[in-house]
Amino acid sequence: MQRGADPRRARAPQAPRPRRRALAAKSSTVALSLAAVAILAAACGSSSPVASKKKPHTTSSSTTSTTSAGTAGASTTTSAPTTAAAAAPTAHTVTAPPPSSTACSTSGGPLSATCDTQSPSFKLAGAGANSIQPFFTRVFYYYSQADKGVSVNYSPAGSSVGVTDIEQNTVNFGDSEIPIKTPATGTGGNILQVPVDLGGVALSYNLPGVSGGLKLDGPTLAGIYLGKITSWNDPAIAALNPGVNLPSTTIVPVRRADSSGPGYDLDQYLIDTGGSAWTSSAAGTTPSTKWPITNVGVGEQLNTGVAGFIQQTPGAIGYVEYAYSLQASFTNAALENASGSFVKPSQSSIAAAGAQATNLSASNFSIVNGTGAGTYPLANFSWTLIYQKQSNTTLGVVLGKLLDWVTTTGQAQASALGYSPLPANVTALAHQTLLSLQNSAGKPLFS
Amino acid sequence: MSTTLLEEVPPPRLTPVEGVKQGLQRRQARPGGRSYAVLRWTGAMIFAAIVLAFVISLLASSSQAFAHSGVSFFWSGTYSATKDIYPTGIFIVGTLITTAVAIILAVPIGVGTAAFLSEFAPKWLASPLSVLIDLIAAVPSIVVGLWGLLVLSPVFAHQVEPFFKKIPVLEWFFHGPAYGPSMLLAGTVLAVMILPTIVALSRTALTSVANEDREAARALGATRWQVVRTAVVPGARTGIEASVILAMGRALGETIAVAMVIGNNYALPHSLLSPGATLGSAIINNFGEANPGLDKSSVIGLVVVLLVITALVNIGGQLLLRRRLRAEGAVA
Repeated sequence: MQRGADPRRARAPQAPRPRRRALAAKSSTVALSLAAVAILAAACGSSSPVASKKKPHTTSSSTTSTTSAGTAGASTTTSAPTTAAAAAPTAHTVTAPPPSSTACSTSGGPLSATCDTQSPSFKLAGAGANSIQPFFTRVFYYYSQADKGVSVNYSPAGSSVGVTDIEQNTVNFGDSEIPIKTPATGTGGNILQVPVDLGGVALSYNLPGVSGGLKLDGPTLAGIYLGKITSWNDPAIAALNPGVNLPSTTIVPVRRADSSGPGYDLDQYLIDTGGSAWTSSAAGTTPSTKWPITNVGVGEQLNTGVAGFIQQTPGAIGYVEYAYSLQASFTNAALENASGSFVKPSQSSIAAAGAQATNLSASNFSIVNGTGAGTYPLANFSWTLIYQKQSNTTLGVVLGKLLDWVTTTGQAQASALGYSPLPANVTALAHQTLLSLQNSAGKPLFS
Repeated sequence: MSTTLLEEVPPPRLTPVEGVKQGLQRRQARPGGRSYAVLRWTGAMIFAAIVLAFVISLLASSSQAFAHSGVSFFWSGTYSATKDIYPTGIFIVGTLITTAVAIILAVPIGVGTAAFLSEFAPKWLASPLSVLIDLIAAVPSIVVGLWGLLVLSPVFAHQVEPFFKKIPVLEWFFHGPAYGPSMLLAGTVLAVMILPTIVALSRTALTSVANEDREAARALGATRWQVVRTAVVPGARTGIEASVILAMGRALGETIAVAMVIGNNYALPHSLLSPGATLGSAIINNFGEANPGLDKSSVIGLVVVLLVITALVNIGGQLLLRRRLRAEGAVA
């Protein structure tokens, strides 16, 4: 033990000093360079909106040249558009019209006509709602089977990202579970809002021993999300579910940490039905995509995060897009609708909610808390956002035809995933909206 | 050229004035020296300009929030009657707690590993092992976050957290329901992420301790462990501390991995098991969807707060190191 103390004294006095100084200098340069990297990254991030704002100008100038080339029938250009697959509709994506398809390259053709764009291929970029991703993935795949010339890259970053991206004109289309306030505009002018699918929001729970269909109403759900109802055998839940043997497990309410369409629907439902406990809280009376009560329970990112948490945690309850709940075979609550009946989410009960939308538009979109014995109260249409004036005629035509296919033939893919096909009047609205697409000169793209 | 170079080695001991004079002479002798000096200065200036531009743009875009809330933005951050509340104080507490947990977990393991690699491990084991540790540094944050969410979280909810709750004294830190996502889990994930920094830098510090020190300790009869404890680690202390400061910087600013495992609850944590939020996780959860105006300005305000905290930690660390170096210099 005594020996142990000696070496310290025995250390050579000058030897370590310069070395240590060198080391400290080294580490401080490492610190500086790390900071530099972070700063550069942040600087790029902050400057990008400026860059994206500049894009439309360059696009419009180059588009005029393309349209003139298109009318002249220049079909010999061989520049490969696949290399210009960049997400933004910038000058790079402007390509010569495909050789074999006059219907696709010139304006004035019918909207639903088949369009052979086998070569060259078109790549469209979209971003938006996470909830619609299973449907989009499937429907875009089938579209690319029918029309090999078109492939779509969809980034499911969330509805608000879809809105921001289309407003800044960095994608070909955005998608949001909640339409933007009309009249909608962005850096590229007027934005059209096209309903593309009908989905529901499930309140899924993980409660071993209790099967699906536990009945919940607005005030009870509000109590859970306000942190006032904290155990599963709370009298409020027991009163709604006579005969069900409820455990005393602690309730873990889980919500989206990011903004979300499902959160907006549930907020709207709780504002309608949750009573003054909800509306007098921080939630207020205006529904919001950002979940209003952030100091209760657990927040997770995207549907996948919420679903993953429910799966792992006994006692958890959370809201997820029905398609995700179906995929994970969750047990879902039956919610009370405006007629007083308790309905579980299913393809038919969500379709019944969609049928309520007799006068649907981007400013009159809510189908939450509908009436009818079989109507599920938490449902919504998903809205695809595109610019009315398509700066690149060819891409505009491709995009219009794609969305028309999605809202008609593509709806057959919906039910397998837990979405419901669009009602006929909504399909008609989508068709009507797409017909108003224009080229950069303001001429209609379709007849 | 080569003859002058040869003449310069070994460098003669010069007074500062003489050194500058000689440097000037040398610059005249070698025309390349001047253009290199220009390059050097331009590089340094560009660098300073980037930092300055970065700070100015951040301050400009967050000015609306600070104008609205004043200095109270640093703790309350609230600006709206009903929604869009940024409880900055809660995020700061969360940031400090998770960083503390990460440091407490990572420093003993990291320094221990570094000591093992530099002093004890046979060569055939040391080099593959350090490659493995460097690989952790190469794993993207989102992957670490996913691993924390999918693999660690259930383990924490069912084994680790209930275990800590049973220990009598620690119970105060670990009460409340065990969900999985928590301050503890976030700190653990951060510990994994900062481990490579600590190991790599501490190892460099340890290996650069003079062999004479080791031999001297040996000669005095110290065992292998005593050599490390009394001669090597004290000799490398400054370097180890520098590594911890760097690691702390990373832990303070981590965003996505933390957002995935912390539970994003904007309330003051009552124990290490409660879900919470950090500045980084709050920024990433709110920035993409922030509306232009006060909303976005407030999120950028959080970035400013984070920048201030990180800068304070770094400057504090540098001052500490400098003082220690000076003290040691005085002794020696």
